[in-house]
Amino acid sequence: MGAAHSASEEVRELVGKTGFSSDQIEQLHRRFKQLSGDQPTIRKENFNNVPDLELNPIRSKIIRAFFDNRNLRKGSSGLADEINFEDFLTIMSYFRPIDTTMDEEQVQLCRKEKLRFLFHMYDSDSDGRITLEEYRNVVEELLSGNPHIEKESARSIADGAMMEAASVCVGQMEPDQVYEGITFDDFLKIWQGIDIETKMHVRFLNMETIALCH
Amino acid sequence: MFLLLPFDSLIVNLLGISLTVLFTLLLVFIIVPAIFGVSFGIRKLYMKTLLKIFAWATLRMERGAKEKNHQLYKPYTNGIIAKDPTSLEEEIKEIRRSGSSRALDNTPEFELSDIFYFCRKGMETIMDDEVTKRFSAEELESWNLLSRTNYNFQYISLRLTVLWGLGVLIRYCFLLPLRIALAFTGISLLVVGTTVVGYLPNGRFKEFLSKHVHLMCYRICVRALTAIITYHDRENRPRNGGICVANHTSPIDVIILASDGYYAMVGQVHGGLMGVIQRAMVKACPHVWFERSEVKDRHLVAKRLTEHVQDKSKLPILIFPEGTCINNTSVMMFKKGSFEIGATVYPVAIKYDPQFGDAFWNSSKYGMVTYLLRMMTSWAIVCSVWYLPPMTRETDEDAVQFANRVKSAIARQGGLVDLLWDGGLKREKVKDTFKEEQQKLYSKMIVGNHEDRSRS
Repeated sequence: MGAAHSASEEVRELVGKTGFSSDQIEQLHRRFKQLSGDQPTIRKENFNNVPDLELNPIRSKIIRAFFDNRNLRKGSSGLADEINFEDFLTIMSYFRPIDTTMDEEQVQLCRKEKLRFLFHMYDSDSDGRITLEEYRNVVEELLSGNPHIEKESARSIADGAMMEAASVCVGQMEPDQVYEGITFDDFLKIWQGIDIETKMHVRFLNMETIALCH
Repeated sequence: MFLLLPFDSLIVNLLGISLTVLFTLLLVFIIVPAIFGVSFGIRKLYMKTLLKIFAWATLRMERGAKEKNHQLYKPYTNGIIAKDPTSLEEEIKEIRRSGSSRALDNTPEFELSDIFYFCRKGMETIMDDEVTKRFSAEELESWNLLSRTNYNFQYISLRLTVLWGLGVLIRYCFLLPLRIALAFTGISLLVVGTTVVGYLPNGRFKEFLSKHVHLMCYRICVRALTAIITYHDRENRPRNGGICVANHTSPIDVIILASDGYYAMVGQVHGGLMGVIQRAMVKACPHVWFERSEVKDRHLVAKRLTEHVQDKSKLPILIFPEGTCINNTSVMMFKKGSFEIGATVYPVAIKYDPQFGDAFWNSSKYGMVTYLLRMMTSWAIVCSVWYLPPMTRETDEDAVQFANRVKSAIARQGGLVDLLWDGGLKREKVKDTFKEEQQKLYSKMIVGNHEDRSRS
C-alpha cells in the first residue's frame, strides 16, 4: 500500500537525521502520541501529564529546552510554540549514548553538542553568555524545593560559584575588571577533562517480548 | 380442566432428564473433586486445546498481514529505557570527583555539573514514564480471540471471523451460565456450611470441618472461574501465627490463595452479599473483620492483628499490602502497617498469564459486577503462585526497609518490576512530601558544604 511505503521512508529519513534505530523511533513515536494526546504537535502544557517530572526542580528549564530554537536548530534565539515529532527526536538525540565505533573527532563533536545543550539551559536570554543573574536563577531553582533555604543563602552560593568559574576562565582579575559572563568557550574550558559522555545519555533497552508463565 | 397434550409431557420429561444429567455431571466432575482436592485434568486439557487454536489463528493473521504488507505486532517491552539506579548523592560526588584535579581540599559548594543529574532524570521521565504505564492492562502480543486487547483487529478472513464469532457464542451462552451456576453453588455452600459448623462446640472436630468446608467452597469457586493454577514450592506454605503477604492484581487473588491453604482473612465489613458471606465465615473460624470506622485507626488495626498473630493456634493472616490492584507487570510500594507487627512473614508471588484473560481490575474504570462478568466471559484464568521462604524483620531494620525487602523478593520471583511508587497514585496526584524529598536532599548537600565553609 502506498501509505505504508512512505511511512517507512520517513522512518529511514529520521534514522539518518537523528541516529536512532527504527525500533527506537517507533517506540518514541508511541510515546510522542501518548504525550500529545494523538495530536501531530506537542505544546508546553502536554508535559504536565508526566507525573514523575513534578519531582524535578528544574522542570521548567527542561521543558523550555524542548522549545528552544537553538536546540531545535531553527534559529539563534526565541521559543517555538509547538514541536512536531522530528523536533522531539532532535532534542532526544542530544541524549543518545556515544557510539563506541565513532572516531575521536566525532566523539569530540558529540561532546560539544551535549555541552551546548546544557549551555543553552543556563543562558536563558540567548546572548551567548551566562551572566551572574542567570547563574543565580539556576541555583535558586535547584534549591527551590527546600523551604528552609532563604533566598540570600542561595544567592551567596551562586556568587561563590561564579567567582570560582571566573578564576578558572580569566585567571587573576584586576580590581575594577568586570567579569561579563561565561561564554561557550569558557564553558568548554571548565568541562575539560571531566567525563560527561556517560552522564549525559539515556540507555535504550533491547526490545524483547515477555516470557509467559506456564 | 387442564388437558395435557402428549407433546407437553414429552418436553417436561426431556427437561427433567437433561437437568438430572447436568447435575450428575456437575457433581461428578466438579463438586466431588473439589471436596477431595483432586483434579481430573480437564482444565489443563482445555488450556492446551485453546493454545493450539490461538496458534492457528495467529498464523492466519500473520499470513493475511504479510499479504497486505501490514505491521502486525508491536514488540512488547517493559519500558524503552534503562533507568540508571545510582542515587543523587553518588552521581554528584562522582562528577565532582572527576573534576577535582583543580581543587583538592576546598569542596566546591555548587558546580555547573550538578545540573546533569536533574537534567538526565527529567529526560528519562519524559521518554518513559513508569507510573502511568502500570495502570493500564498490558498490551498483548498475540490476539487471543477475545479481541479486547488487540487494537489491530481487522477483518482478515471469513474463517477467522467465524471462529471469533463462535468463540463469543461459546463464552457467553455456554460457559457463562455454567460458571454462574457454579459460583452460586460455591457461595451458598460456603454460607450454609460455615453457619452449620458454627453451631458445633469449639474443638478439633469443628476446626477440621471448618477447614474442609472453606477449602471445598473456594475450590468450587476456582472451577467456576476456570482458573488453572500452578503452585510452586508448596513446602513454604504459611503456618499458624504468621502473616501471608502477596501482590495484588484482582479480588480473585483471595480465592486463588485460599483454595490451597486455610487462612484468616482481614478486611472491612461490607454490606449486602459480601456482608452475609463475612458474617457466616466468622462463625466457623476467627477471621478479622473491621468496621469502617476502625479501619482509619491504625493503632487499633495493628493491635487486633498483633493479638491474633500472637495466639499460635490461630490461622495465618492473609494481607495484600499494596492497598490497590496493580496490573501485574510490577509491584508497587508496600504499606508498612503489616510489617510492624513483628510476626514471621511468608511472601507469596502471584503472576497471571495474560494470554488467556486479563485479570487486572482497574477499579476506576469498572465496577465489581462488570469486572466479575468480564472474568466469567474470558476463556480461562491461568496463573502461577510461588511460595517464598519465610522472612523476619532483622534488628537493625525498620518496618519500611523490611517491607521493601519483602517486596523485592516477591518482584524478583514473579518476574515483576520492583517500583517505589505508591499505588494510590492511580487516584491522587503526587504527594507533596515526596516532591520535596529530592530537592531537600540536594539542598542539604549544598548548604551543608556552605555552612562548613563559613564556620572554618
